[in-house]
Amino acid sequence: MSEREMDALTLTVIWNGIMSIAEELGITLRHTAFSEGVREGDDFSTAIFDRNGRMIAQGNFSPGHLGSMPFVAQHVRDYFPEENLSPGDAIALNDSFMGSGHFPDVFQVMPVFLDGSIIGYVATSAHQVDMGGAAPGSQKVHGVTESYQEGLRILPVKMVRSGEFDEDILRIILGNVRMPDKVRGDLAAQHGANLTAAERLCELHRDHGTELVERAHDIILDRTEAHMRDALAKVPNGTYSFEDFMDDYGTDTDPIKVAVDITFEDGSVTLDFSRSSDHVPAAINSYINYTRAYAVFGIKVFCDANFPQNAGGMRPITVTAREGSFFNPAFPAPSGGRAILQIRIFDAINGAMAKAMPERAMGAFSHWSNPNIGGIDDRTGRPFIAYDVILAGYGGRADSDGAEAMSPVMNCSNIPVEVHETNNPIRVQRMEFIPDTGGAGKHRGGCGVRKDIELLNSRATLSLLGDRHKYQPYGLFGGEPGALGTTILNPHRNAEPLGSKEIREIQKGDVVSIRLSGAGGYGNAEERDPLAIQNDLMDGYISAADEFDHVSDVMVAQSAKIKLP
Amino acid sequence: MKRLAFDIGGTFTDFVYDDDGTFHTLKVPTTPEDPAIGVIEGMRHLGESGNFNAKGLDVVLHATTVATNAIIERKGGRTALITTDGFRDVLIIGRQKRYETYDLYIKPPKPLVQRRDIFEVVERVAFDGETVIALDMASLDTVIDRIAEANYDAVAVALLHAYAAPDHERQIRDRLYQRLPDIDVSISSEVSPKFREYERTNTTVANSYVKPIVSRYVTHLEEALSGKGFRNEFFIMQSSGGLVSPEFARNFPIRIVESGPAAGVLMARDAAAEEGFDHVIAFDMGGTTAKLGAVDEGVPSISPTFEIDPVRYKRGSGLPINTPAVELLEIGAGGGSIARAELGTIAVGPESAGAKPGPVCYGLGGDVPTVTDANLVLGYLDPEYFNDGAFTLDIAAARNAIQSKIAKPLDLSTEAAAWGIHLIATNNMEHAIRIVSVERGRDPRRYAMVAFGGAGPLHAARLARKIGVPQVIIPKNAGVGSAVGLLGADARLDASATRLLRLNETTGDTLRQLYEELEERVRQDLDRMALPGEPIWSRFAYMRFSGQGFEIHVPLPTGSIDDAYPQSAEDAFRRAYATRHQFSDMQASVEAVDWYLVATIETAKSTPGAIAKSSDVGSSLRTRSAFFPDAGGWLETRILNRGDLVPGNPLEGPAIVADPDSTTVIPPGDRVEAMKNGHLVIRIGTEDQL
Repeated sequence: MSEREMDALTLTVIWNGIMSIAEELGITLRHTAFSEGVREGDDFSTAIFDRNGRMIAQGNFSPGHLGSMPFVAQHVRDYFPEENLSPGDAIALNDSFMGSGHFPDVFQVMPVFLDGSIIGYVATSAHQVDMGGAAPGSQKVHGVTESYQEGLRILPVKMVRSGEFDEDILRIILGNVRMPDKVRGDLAAQHGANLTAAERLCELHRDHGTELVERAHDIILDRTEAHMRDALAKVPNGTYSFEDFMDDYGTDTDPIKVAVDITFEDGSVTLDFSRSSDHVPAAINSYINYTRAYAVFGIKVFCDANFPQNAGGMRPITVTAREGSFFNPAFPAPSGGRAILQIRIFDAINGAMAKAMPERAMGAFSHWSNPNIGGIDDRTGRPFIAYDVILAGYGGRADSDGAEAMSPVMNCSNIPVEVHETNNPIRVQRMEFIPDTGGAGKHRGGCGVRKDIELLNSRATLSLLGDRHKYQPYGLFGGEPGALGTTILNPHRNAEPLGSKEIREIQKGDVVSIRLSGAGGYGNAEERDPLAIQNDLMDGYISAADEFDHVSDVMVAQSAKIKLP
Repeated sequence: MKRLAFDIGGTFTDFVYDDDGTFHTLKVPTTPEDPAIGVIEGMRHLGESGNFNAKGLDVVLHATTVATNAIIERKGGRTALITTDGFRDVLIIGRQKRYETYDLYIKPPKPLVQRRDIFEVVERVAFDGETVIALDMASLDTVIDRIAEANYDAVAVALLHAYAAPDHERQIRDRLYQRLPDIDVSISSEVSPKFREYERTNTTVANSYVKPIVSRYVTHLEEALSGKGFRNEFFIMQSSGGLVSPEFARNFPIRIVESGPAAGVLMARDAAAEEGFDHVIAFDMGGTTAKLGAVDEGVPSISPTFEIDPVRYKRGSGLPINTPAVELLEIGAGGGSIARAELGTIAVGPESAGAKPGPVCYGLGGDVPTVTDANLVLGYLDPEYFNDGAFTLDIAAARNAIQSKIAKPLDLSTEAAAWGIHLIATNNMEHAIRIVSVERGRDPRRYAMVAFGGAGPLHAARLARKIGVPQVIIPKNAGVGSAVGLLGADARLDASATRLLRLNETTGDTLRQLYEELEERVRQDLDRMALPGEPIWSRFAYMRFSGQGFEIHVPLPTGSIDDAYPQSAEDAFRRAYATRHQFSDMQASVEAVDWYLVATIETAKSTPGAIAKSSDVGSSLRTRSAFFPDAGGWLETRILNRGDLVPGNPLEGPAIVADPDSTTVIPPGDRVEAMKNGHLVIRIGTEDQL
C-alpha cells in the first residue's frame, strides 16, 4: 500500500461521512430558513472544503450553484488569509462574479477550527427573499440596465466575528432590504447550519485523525477526476457546435444569439460560449459562474448524472466565454433574472452534444414562462405579487416521446391554482395542454401548456418573462420543431398578441393567455409507431382536425388506416 | 376477552390470537388471488392447535396491503374523472418537480387514469366558495353519456375549490347515481376536502380506483368470517393507525392503504410503553427496505400526506395521497440490499436481490453479495438455523461472492469486506434517521428504538449507538409485529376542512362554528359504526406564518372554543414552530390552512399477557465466533434463545439472541436484559464503558 493509498473501508467511511455532512447541512438550512425559495424551491447549496479551499463535497441541491460553490472558498481566502481568521468567524458575499450570478444568493463561508488551526471550511448559499433594488425580490428584468439598480452588492466581508454577528455590517445589509426580519432570520439560519456542520466535521477529524482525512481528500479528488475523465473520454474527440436564438430581451429589442462550441480532447472538455451576443441592458445576463453551473449540469447529464460533486470532478471541465459577452458579462451588467436562461444554456449544449452522443440527446424543451402580476390588492390595501412558474414538455428522445409537463433543467414545483387564487386577486380560467404543439417525430416532443389568467383587481402590472415566441424549439434527426409559443391579451375580445418579455398595465377583467411552445421531436415522423399515433389521438395530444398543420402527411396516412373507437 | 388480529402482507398473513391475555401467533402464506382463503386456513390452524373458535371471538382486527397492491400493480378498476372545464390536465401535469435533479431521463409518476378518461363539465366556484358559473347540467349529461358508453367501473369527481363548496360535486354524484345506478362515485369534497387541486384530485381518483377491489375483498372476508360463525365486531386498520368499520373502509378504501405499517408503529409504541418509554423510533428492517417511524410523547407521528409507489424511495416520485398516515420513512436498506465496489469504495443498496433470487447464501441463484450474506460471514447469523429452521444458509457461497465482488477489487480481506457491507448499510440508515430528526426537531437522546423485522434486531444496537439513542427494545412477537399492533389500536375517525384564516383576525365564533361542522361530520360516521363508548375528541391544525407555502402540524387545545381560542392556537403554533426550526418570527402573523378534528373510541383490550417463562441463565453454553473489529476482531460470542434470558439478570455483549424469525446482535459494550413482559432491552454502552 503506497503512502497515498488507504484501505477501501476507511475511505468509504470518510467519504460518505463528508458527503453526509454536506447533505445534512442543506437539510438543516432548509428547515431553519425563512425564504420560500430555500424551503420550497431548494434554491440553496452547501459544500465542505479542505483547508486549502478545495471543495470535497457539495450537497445535491440547486444546480444553479454548481458553477460558483467550488471556487467560493478560494475567493474568501484571497480576501481573508488564514492568519486573519479566528474560530467562530464567517464571511459573507453575494457579488455576481464571485457568487452565483445574482444578488439574492448570499454565500456564507465559515472556517472550521480544530485545536487552534483550520481544518477546512463549510459553506452555504441561500436565495434570500430580498437584497434591495428596483423591485421586491431583487430580480426585476425590465428597465434594469445596471447592477446598481438591483440592490446591495456584498464583496467578501467578515459578517460574523468569533461567533457574534457584526451588528454594524448587519445594519448596512438590513437597512437596504425589504423584509429585513426575514433576511436577518435567513442569515442566522445559514450561520446556525454552518455551525452544526462545522461541529460534525470536527468529529470526523477527531474520529479518524486529520492526517488520514486529508489523505482521503486527495484520493477523493483524484478518483473523481479520473472517473470524470473516463466518462469524458467516451465522447469522440472533436469540436461540436450549436447556435440558437432567444427572441429578445424586452419589447422591440434584438434577438440574443446563444452559441456554444464544445471541444472534447482525451478526457477533458471545454465549453466556449464566446460566439454568443454581447451582454444586454436587461437583467438577464449570465455571469460566468452561472454559465458554468449549467454547463457543468449539461455535462453531468450527458456523461454521468451521478458522479460525486467535488473539485476533482471539475478539473477536466473548462467553461469560457468572451469577456463582455452575454455569458460572461462585465460588472455592472445586470443579472437578477438570469434564471430564464438555464433552459437555453442546456438546449445549446444538448444541440451540440447531439452530434457526439445522439442516443443521449433530446429535442429542445418547451420554453418555460415566469410571469408576474403585481399591484395593490383592492380588498386589503396590501401589495400582492402573483408570481407564477409555467412549465411544459420535454423534447423527444432516442427511446421515447418527451415527458409531458415536467420541470426542465431547473427543478421546481408549479404553484397550485387553488393556492394562487386564495392568495391573489386573480382567477385562472384554463390550465391545459395545447394539442398539436409537440414537434412531430419518431418520438414526438411534449405539448405546450396554456394558462389563462384573469385579473380580478382594479389594476395591476403584468411583467412577462418567457421566450420561443420567434424561434421554435428545435427538433433532432428529422424530428420537427415544437410549435411557437404565444401570449395573447384578452383572447375572447380583441386578442392582442404580446411579446415574450412585455410589460403591461392591465385592468380588471383582462385575461392574459400564456401559451408555451411545444418541445422538439426526435427522428423522422415517418417512423412513428402507428399505435402511438392512435394513442395520441385518443388522448387528444394531437387532434384529427389539425393533422394537416402539424403532423406529417405520412403520419396522417398511417392514422387514417387506424379505426378509432 | 378473545380477539383475533391478522395482517395480510405480500408474502405472509400474520395472526395473533389473544386468548384472555395469552397471545398465540401464527404465520401462513398469503393467497393473493383471494386473501380470504389464507385467513380461513390460518383460523383452521389456530383451531387445531388449541382453544380457538371463531364463534367465541369478541372482535376481529385486520390490516391489509390489498389497496396498495392494486395501485402499485395498476390493477384497480377502470376509472373516469370528472373535473372543471379548463382543468382537464391537472392530474397529468401534477406538480412537475423531478425527483432526481441531475437526471433528465426520468419519467413523472404514471397517473391512475389516462387523459382520455378525463371529462370536463362547465362550472366554477371561487376559493371562498362563491359560485362563479353554475353547474351546467347539459354539459354534465353529455359527459355521463360518454361515461356510459365506455364501461367504467368507477367515477371520481374533483372540481376546483370543491373543498370550499361541495354542492356541485354532490349534484354530479346525484345525477350519476340517477342515470348510472351501478357505478361507484367518489367525490373530492368527501374523500380529501383540502386545497391544492393536484393532490386532492389524485387522492380522489385513487379512492375510486381501488374501490371495486377493496369492496369485493372486504365482502369476501366478512362472508368468510360469518361462515365460521363469527358474529361480533370486525375492524379494519387505517393508514392513520385508527380502526374503522368495514363499511367505512369500503367507502374510503384509500384510507387503509398503509394499514400494515401503521399497525407496526403501534406495536412499537405499545412495546416501548410497557418498558416505560414514550419517545420511540420504530425501526423495521426487512428484506428489501427499512422503515422508520416515530412516536412522540406516546403519540405516533402522523403525516397529512404520503406517497404510494415511489421510485427508489425518492420523495416526490410517487403518487401523493392526502389522507392522514402514520409517518414512515422508507429507505432501500434491507437484508437483500446489494453491495458493490464503486470508485474504490463500498456502496450498499438501494437495489435489492429481493426474496428471489435473494442473497447468495439462500442458494436460489443469487450471485451478488447482500447485507444478509455479510451478516452470515460475520458470524451474526446461524447458517444452520434461519427463519425458524426453515432452511440452512450457504456460508461458503456467501464468502466467495464477497471475496470476488468486493474484497478482491478493493484489496480487502473477506471479513473486512463483510464488515464494510454491514457498516455501510448501518451508516446509510443512520444518515436517513439524522435527516428525519433534523426535519422534525427530534433529539435522539430522548428516544428508545424499537427494532423489528427480520434484519432490524441485527443492526439496531450499532445504529442506536451511532445516532445517540441510549436504548433498544426488541419486542416479543416481533415477527408478527403488525398483527400485535392491531391489538393495541383504538377506533379513530377524523374530519378536516381547508379554511385559510389569519388567527389575529379570527373570532372564537368562527372557529367554534367550524369545529361544530366537523363534529357533525364525524358523528355521522360514528353513528354508522355504532360503537359503544363516548369518543375522546382532539383537534389539530396545519399552520404557517402568513405567506409561507408550507404548513406544520400543530396540536390545538381541547375544551370549549371561546374568544381567547385563536390566540391560544397561535401560541401553540409558535411553540411548535420554534421546536422544529429553532426560529420564530414574532412579528409575522400566523394563519391556519387545514383544520382537523379526531374522535378516538377506545376499544376493549386484554390485561397484559402472561409473564415470560423463565429458565436458568446460562442454560445455553453455545458459542460462535463473530466479528467485532471495533472490539478486537473475531470473538467467541454466546448464542442464546430469548428464553435463556431472565428478568433482573442482564448480560454483557458480545452476545447473539436467536429468535425464530429474527436475530439480535448485542455488540461488545452493550448490555441486554429480558424484561418481564417478554421484551428484550439493550442498553447502549457509553464510550467510557467500552
